[in-house]
Amino acid sequence: MRFDRDSFAEVMDSITRNRSRSLLTGFGVFWGVFMLILLAGGGKGLKQLMEKNFEGFATNTCLAFAENTTKPYKGFKKGRSWDMTYTDASRVKALVPEVDVVSPIVSFWGKTAELGEFTASCSIKGVYSNYSSIESPQLAYGRYINDMDVSAERKVCVIGKKIYNNLFPQGGDPCGETIRVDGMYYTVVGVDFNNGNISINGSADETVTMPISLVRRAYNTGEVIDLLCFTAQEGVTVSDIVPRVREIIARQHFIDPSDERAIEMMNTQLIFGIVDSLFKGINFLIWLIGLGTILAGAIGVSNIMMVSVRERTVEIGIRRAIGATPGMILSQIISESIILTLASGLAGIVFGVGVLSVVELAMTTDGILKAEFQVGFSMALLSAMLLTVLGVLAGLAPSLRAMEIKPVDAMRDE
Amino acid sequence: MLIELKDINKTYYGAQPLHVLKGVTLGIERGEFVSIMGASGSGKSTLLNILGILDNYDSGEYRIDGKLIWNLSEKEAANYRNRLIGFIFQSYNLIGFKTAVENVELPLLYQGVPRKKRRQMAMDYLERLGLKEWAGHYPSEMSGGQKQRVAIARALITKPSIILADEPTGALDSRTSVEIMELLSELNRTENMTVIVVTHESGVANFTNKIVHIKDGMIGEIEANARHDASPFGAGGIMK
Repeated sequence: MRFDRDSFAEVMDSITRNRSRSLLTGFGVFWGVFMLILLAGGGKGLKQLMEKNFEGFATNTCLAFAENTTKPYKGFKKGRSWDMTYTDASRVKALVPEVDVVSPIVSFWGKTAELGEFTASCSIKGVYSNYSSIESPQLAYGRYINDMDVSAERKVCVIGKKIYNNLFPQGGDPCGETIRVDGMYYTVVGVDFNNGNISINGSADETVTMPISLVRRAYNTGEVIDLLCFTAQEGVTVSDIVPRVREIIARQHFIDPSDERAIEMMNTQLIFGIVDSLFKGINFLIWLIGLGTILAGAIGVSNIMMVSVRERTVEIGIRRAIGATPGMILSQIISESIILTLASGLAGIVFGVGVLSVVELAMTTDGILKAEFQVGFSMALLSAMLLTVLGVLAGLAPSLRAMEIKPVDAMRDE
Repeated sequence: MLIELKDINKTYYGAQPLHVLKGVTLGIERGEFVSIMGASGSGKSTLLNILGILDNYDSGEYRIDGKLIWNLSEKEAANYRNRLIGFIFQSYNLIGFKTAVENVELPLLYQGVPRKKRRQMAMDYLERLGLKEWAGHYPSEMSGGQKQRVAIARALITKPSIILADEPTGALDSRTSVEIMELLSELNRTENMTVIVVTHESGVANFTNKIVHIKDGMIGEIEANARHDASPFGAGGIMK
């Protein structure tokens, strides 16, 4: 089967001869490809938008906090309130070797940070330096809380983006400035621009992060901690160690180990898993719909080619009579099918990519793209190849029928 | 002997088997101008199809230039048709969406002749048939005579050994019929082209040098018609 300028001209002749029909037929394929590209791009963008929410947050993390007990245990009634303590943190660290980072948090809400005439509402979060490996800060200025800050109870803080914007409207490096929270003064040592939407005890935007030892002393919290965050070591899923952590904490506080409500465990890995499988499902649907539509389009092409072959019985008969071999007829019909499918499919790719570009443009704020919607070049290439294959398949039945046309049939048709 | 038919039999197997050709034996020399005459149903179209390698026969022997035409693959048959035989049909059988010159060069396309040479040759043939100005026109823009001349140009362009004409004047008025027949006759005389015309019109047959009558699938009388007085078109050549 050779394909040169002549055969191309022949094919274009046939396709353009019935322009509106070719256009309408091609539209089926065009729409299929367009939908596939659009859906694939949309799915990708949505997933990225969703992932943005989890940005800067360790995926293998569990947060534990105290709730009232729901089961009576060792003589205690149910409904008893209890508090987690620093001891829990050190016991978990010591008794569960698979745990990587254990980081207790003490926090307060509804505070106001002040600097001169400027104020910003905020929450306070007291942390150890290792908290940065659970919710990684994106420091625009300065540094994060370090071990020295904690052990020396330095009056320093890292402020969130929103607080920074409110207190320092003129911009610039705020490190070394002193802000006031609850009548106490703290030196700003860093600005955290993390804008992930998952955050523990208040969004990072509006949080003043301080050494945990300082908060303990300033607010007199004693041994009590609000939250215990821990991550699993690499190669260990956090879900596997959650029951053991629960047991260790439960034993310490005389809580029924089977009382799951008393020690609330928020497993981010579980949430990530849910989101992940959600998008797997969405992706599957996208491909199902997209490929289905393309397939329907290709079947349309096949159908129309069938009609066209029937219509052209005489023409094909003439061609056969003056020397066209069956192979030539076969290649002509298949070429027509491929070109029709490919041309409309490529138009679909171009249009889809164009629409996705517009979407990306709309999703861009301050020159920063929120999420990538555009499909990759390999996806376009793959679609083009798929279209060629579909073109061949669509042309197969009609061309076989065309091959069966004998030159005599053309004469008889008169 | 250019064409040799020996005891050709052909039966169509339908609801009722139809024995169309019953042992046809016929020889045609190179450069002859022959007509095959018969009423409809006489088997002349079947004979033409076999001569044109458009159809198979059941038994017998058909040779062109000594080559046995039997059991050919579709590809071989197409190749023989393309190189040995030029067809002229009653309904012209031009391709409607191609211009005159594109129609003429079509057989060369299937031979793989390069585009420029193809176009050149097609223009030459159209010019010889006085259709140079019509080269860019579509069949629908031409008269019947013009269309048939385009078809003749298409038949000639591969320089075939045989021109097979199936009722070449069937769709033409008598004046144009005469023109076309004179054209075929001239081709036969000046180029020594072997021309076989299948017709049921005696006026058409009268232009040829030999008339083969076929009746009920058998060859009847073969009359020499050197003086072209067998049964002319009516007075002044206007009879149909």
